[in-house]
Amino acid sequence: MHAAELLQFVIAGLKNGSIYALVALGFTIVYAATGIINFAQGEFYMLGGMVSVFVLGALKVPLAVAIAGGVALTVVVGALVERLALRPRRDAGQLTLIIITIGVSLLLRSVARHAFGANELSLPAFSPGPSVMFMGAAIERQALWVWAITAVSVVGLWLVYEKTSFGRAMKACSISHEAARLMGIDTARVVALAFALAAGLGAIAGAAVTPLTSTAFDVGARIGLKGFAAAILGGLGDFRAAVAGGLALGLVESLSVAYISSTYKDAIALVVLLAVLFLRPQGLFGRMAKEKV
Amino acid sequence: MHRAWKDMAAMAAAGALSITMVLSGCASPANQAATGGSAKPAVAPVKIGAILSLTGSYAGLGAPEKRAIELEVKRINDAGGVGGAPIEVVVEDDATDAQKAVAAATKLIEKDRVVAIIGATGTGGTMAIRNEASRAGVPIVSMAGGSVITDTFDANTFQTPWPNRVVVAFTLKYLKANGITRIALLSDSSGYGKDGHDVTVKQAAAAGVAIVADETFNPGDTDMTAQLTKIKAAGPQAVWLWNAGKEAATAAKNLRQIDPSATIRLVGAPGNGRMEFITGAGDAAEGFTFAAGKILLPATYGAGTEEYKVATSFVDRFKTAYGVAPDIFAGHAYDALTIVAEALKKAGPGADGAKLRTAIEGTKGLIGIGGTFTYSPTDHNGLSEKDLVVYRVSKGTWELAK
Repeated sequence: MHAAELLQFVIAGLKNGSIYALVALGFTIVYAATGIINFAQGEFYMLGGMVSVFVLGALKVPLAVAIAGGVALTVVVGALVERLALRPRRDAGQLTLIIITIGVSLLLRSVARHAFGANELSLPAFSPGPSVMFMGAAIERQALWVWAITAVSVVGLWLVYEKTSFGRAMKACSISHEAARLMGIDTARVVALAFALAAGLGAIAGAAVTPLTSTAFDVGARIGLKGFAAAILGGLGDFRAAVAGGLALGLVESLSVAYISSTYKDAIALVVLLAVLFLRPQGLFGRMAKEKV
Repeated sequence: MHRAWKDMAAMAAAGALSITMVLSGCASPANQAATGGSAKPAVAPVKIGAILSLTGSYAGLGAPEKRAIELEVKRINDAGGVGGAPIEVVVEDDATDAQKAVAAATKLIEKDRVVAIIGATGTGGTMAIRNEASRAGVPIVSMAGGSVITDTFDANTFQTPWPNRVVVAFTLKYLKANGITRIALLSDSSGYGKDGHDVTVKQAAAAGVAIVADETFNPGDTDMTAQLTKIKAAGPQAVWLWNAGKEAATAAKNLRQIDPSATIRLVGAPGNGRMEFITGAGDAAEGFTFAAGKILLPATYGAGTEEYKVATSFVDRFKTAYGVAPDIFAGHAYDALTIVAEALKKAGPGADGAKLRTAIEGTKGLIGIGGTFTYSPTDHNGLSEKDLVVYRVSKGTWELAK
């Protein structure tokens, strides 16, 4: 295989991988603040794309404004999901909350189906133009946007977590809600913000990917599964691990098409995931959970 | 005495209730197409089932099918129904899932007691409901294009789209005539994609076309760059895409990405004859070539012909009702409903499944949207290459390919 082709496979893998990474980040944020897996994360991704398309078509505003609108609305939905669906049952145990998120995801999908229709919808590229050639491999301009957004998100999240009091409050919540509350942290507010943040990230990913893949009311389930797998692969609860897990998953998929068979692409990715979980239950880059005292 | 009085009161109440329900027409409006022309409720409507993919991968196909069915039910009923009885179509959504299609078929047969089923939207769904319908003796008129539907013959199953065996032969001739003899296949793993793939592999060599690469993807996949990179390395003149869902737009964009000067042509199938594909793929759709029926450009029927009149009348009514032109899937639904309705006129509104099946098999020279249908005891499709034309996408719309 020529070097240019191999590079093309790697680029395809990294492109899909950074999409998975953005979704995985959403899982990680909510998990860090609440200890639950939010199965509605894929629907935030779907809403980001669908609402942006809708705003663009209905209000005829510039693309950037439409996407800002789509992301803002999804953030509101994220906060509402926490406030209306999860907070009333917050003492019910994690399993109940996880099941509630599954219900929420079905609800959001049905609402989107009726509000926006069943057809696939698309957005124009952020910066239209032919692919950029790099050492014989082609890179879509939109893929550069996806990479940039992933990089900015990771740095931004790192700054929030390390440098702000909100970030420290989130960290405290991830260790113990009870202790955080005793230390005067408004844990309910932290959880609500975590949901809003996760929804915003999911929505940005959904809007950034729509020019590449189109979107539809039912894209959330599949991307949610991939993002979840990426978060598990990397190691739940750590941003860098989520990003690494996403990129690794994308690369495994792409290289299995290159060297094995496109028919078994998804199966191979799942086998790798299982293998990692057997050998390193904490994920590729996660730290073994310590009993916190 | 006292007891009999009570019974009579109960019966009277039940009677009053049922009359009220009939008059107000409150029989579960949720998922039923209107019977239209409700002026004469005296005759019980003939119930026909429809299994459509209103959600899932084929949602974009099921939606125009539902619109066409609702439009035509109303027209048929306004024109007096079938043999004096109105028709009523009970629509079920199979969510592009073969298991749900079977559940829907069971419900339509056992609960709604339909005399025929229109559907399913997809090849996988159609194959899944054949057993259920055969057992109950309820004929099926499918709107899916997989060859397998009529190749593995079932006395009870009919088909309205051009089957892949006809589409592939027709498209291969076009490719050969245009000097394209090295192609790559990119097919999805759905029933339609697999069927198209298998038929192409079977016919290509004899038609003088070599398949130099053969890749697949799954419905719902959002990136085919890796598969197309592998395909490009094999050096084909064209990529033949087998997919009727939203993934087609992504494949077109991915191909343009790794082949910016468009040296490799993109070829497709009737399943891509949807505006959403062109809008989704944008510039990458330019030059996309596919065979499909004449409905996309009604002038191809030949102005003034009977076929042209039938098609333009449908196009006009569809545009008036919904503001957009019908696509090929709306056409398949029109054909399926018309075939069943015409057979009901012949067999009478009281006909059972077996009689109706025989009447459908006797369909002869019925001018529809997909072509002119003539079924026989050995041919339950009845369409041929002359019902197809080759389209090419240019400036965001279809034009006849040279």
